[in-house]
Amino acid sequence: MKTLPKKFFKRKSKPQDVAKNILITSCFTILATIVAFWFFYTVPEQSANIVLVYITTLVLVSRFTTGYIYGITFSLIGVICVNYLFTYPYFNLNFTLTGYPITFLFMLIISITISTMTSQIIEQNEIILEREKLLMEAEKEKMRANLLRSVSHDLRTPLTGIIGNTSTYIDNAETLSEHEKTDIVKQINDDSNWLLHMVENLLSVTRIEETSMKIATSMESVEEVIAEAIMRLRKRIPDVALNVQVPETFLMIPMDAMLIEQVIINLVENAVDHAKSTLPIDLTVIEHQDSVAFHVKDYGIGIAPERLSSIFDGSPYTPQTPSDIHKGMGIGLSICKTIITAHNGSITAANHENGCLFTFILPKEN
Amino acid sequence: MNPKYSVLLIEDEESIRSFISTTLKSQGYKITTAACGQEGLHLCASLCPDIILLDLGLPDIDGMTIIAKLREWSSTPIIVISARSHEQEKAKALDLGADDYITKPFGTVELLARIRTSLRHGNQFAVGNTPYAPIYRHKELMIDYDKHLVTLAGEMIHLTQIEYKLITLLAQNSGKVLTYSYIMEKIWGPYIDNNNQILRVNMANIRRKIEKNPATPEHVFTEIGIGYRMAECEQ
Repeated sequence: MKTLPKKFFKRKSKPQDVAKNILITSCFTILATIVAFWFFYTVPEQSANIVLVYITTLVLVSRFTTGYIYGITFSLIGVICVNYLFTYPYFNLNFTLTGYPITFLFMLIISITISTMTSQIIEQNEIILEREKLLMEAEKEKMRANLLRSVSHDLRTPLTGIIGNTSTYIDNAETLSEHEKTDIVKQINDDSNWLLHMVENLLSVTRIEETSMKIATSMESVEEVIAEAIMRLRKRIPDVALNVQVPETFLMIPMDAMLIEQVIINLVENAVDHAKSTLPIDLTVIEHQDSVAFHVKDYGIGIAPERLSSIFDGSPYTPQTPSDIHKGMGIGLSICKTIITAHNGSITAANHENGCLFTFILPKEN
Repeated sequence: MNPKYSVLLIEDEESIRSFISTTLKSQGYKITTAACGQEGLHLCASLCPDIILLDLGLPDIDGMTIIAKLREWSSTPIIVISARSHEQEKAKALDLGADDYITKPFGTVELLARIRTSLRHGNQFAVGNTPYAPIYRHKELMIDYDKHLVTLAGEMIHLTQIEYKLITLLAQNSGKVLTYSYIMEKIWGPYIDNNNQILRVNMANIRRKIEKNPATPEHVFTEIGIGYRMAECEQ
């Protein structure tokens, strides 16, 4: 409250603002006078109504103009109008009437109070906006920190494997049997494939613009995106068992196809690698009124209930499980979350009786 | 027996160069490598290879420029090797005259398959074969160009005029990816606008007629942001 007047005086009013405020004030003045005249001729004996009309208009003027000056001006005009037009002697200014200064004083108080409240509302809106901006900033910062944490964890594991295996090979080239050598190379191959997967995930995030968390979307056909995601997935896991269902109608929704493919690949890969699904994984797309839902359902071991709430945070381990029990559950899901959030969609995880169900929902319109 | 095909590989990364040469040599190809674009262009002119593998990110000349320069005088098939995530770049390379592209990282199986496909398409004219086999066959799908007939497991499929034109265009280039703009121009003529929605709706309709599950197609594949590819015709 104390800072308000300062703020008010500091704010430089632009010429168009001044013009707008003057216009509003004059419009209300004319309107109030017309209404007052109407009252004056229909119910001349109730002159209190006329004052009420001006007071109501004063409230409106103070509310819809910025700053005090217009409200005060209007209260002056109002007092003069009532005095000049509607009090005996008509069309004559007479300041000797009893109670006149009190009317003026009250109108002044009302106008100042309302103007103060208006500036306060504007001020508060600004504060809320500022706070939202800060929150978004913090969210982004958190996302980045989580990502970095899981990346450093998840990259180190396969790299250690590769370095270890290659140095074993170099140091013991003569003593290793052919079979052992093949094993080592296979291990290196596995680890490098894993690294590639990781890097592709990371690269996909670079498509999301740093500052605004926005992505360039275009209208893409859902079935084509699903088909390509499966094709890319089959390169890594050729014999993945999947039941795919898409709506019969041809669906196009705005998205970055590469990123959504990455999400589908991550979710299905998780279902294969971590859930140890016993039945084919269900990948189902369902069309809703103004969104499209993608479900990835596995029939595996499910997710520990205490992990469900933080599963998209990118924390690579829980206190109960050692950190390197399995590489890379963290990064994939936190990237999914980042991608879906950037699409203005939502992603959730839940357990069902025989496994878990990941769902992400994308809006049909931008 | 196949004559020994000669391959020119233009790639600046040494490890990739050595891995591709080893693989291709073991498959009986004759391979020459170039580490930069300038050298590649010279070798191309002097050796006249049967096929060119071209990395887009070269230190001296932009890959796109090389494609454009080569296409001024040569119709040798070009397979572009590129890093993922730049669909527009791939589409541009194809529209400039590259025959196919392969995305890093790729397996040797995939690379060999692409080379075979491109060689086959590139050689049809050289050897004097009829440009297209009269019948396209892949799994249960059959297209008889002379009879204007498309069948799936012996059942006749009813396609609209546009759908038939589309599927034959893809089938006659089976194994190759055709870009949106190429297909649009071939089917709707040069004055069609850039919006490819109409193409995608038609493709969706075709998919519903010839695929068991449109989300796991067996015959027509989508390369998002680039175009469509039809499965290689079975011999």
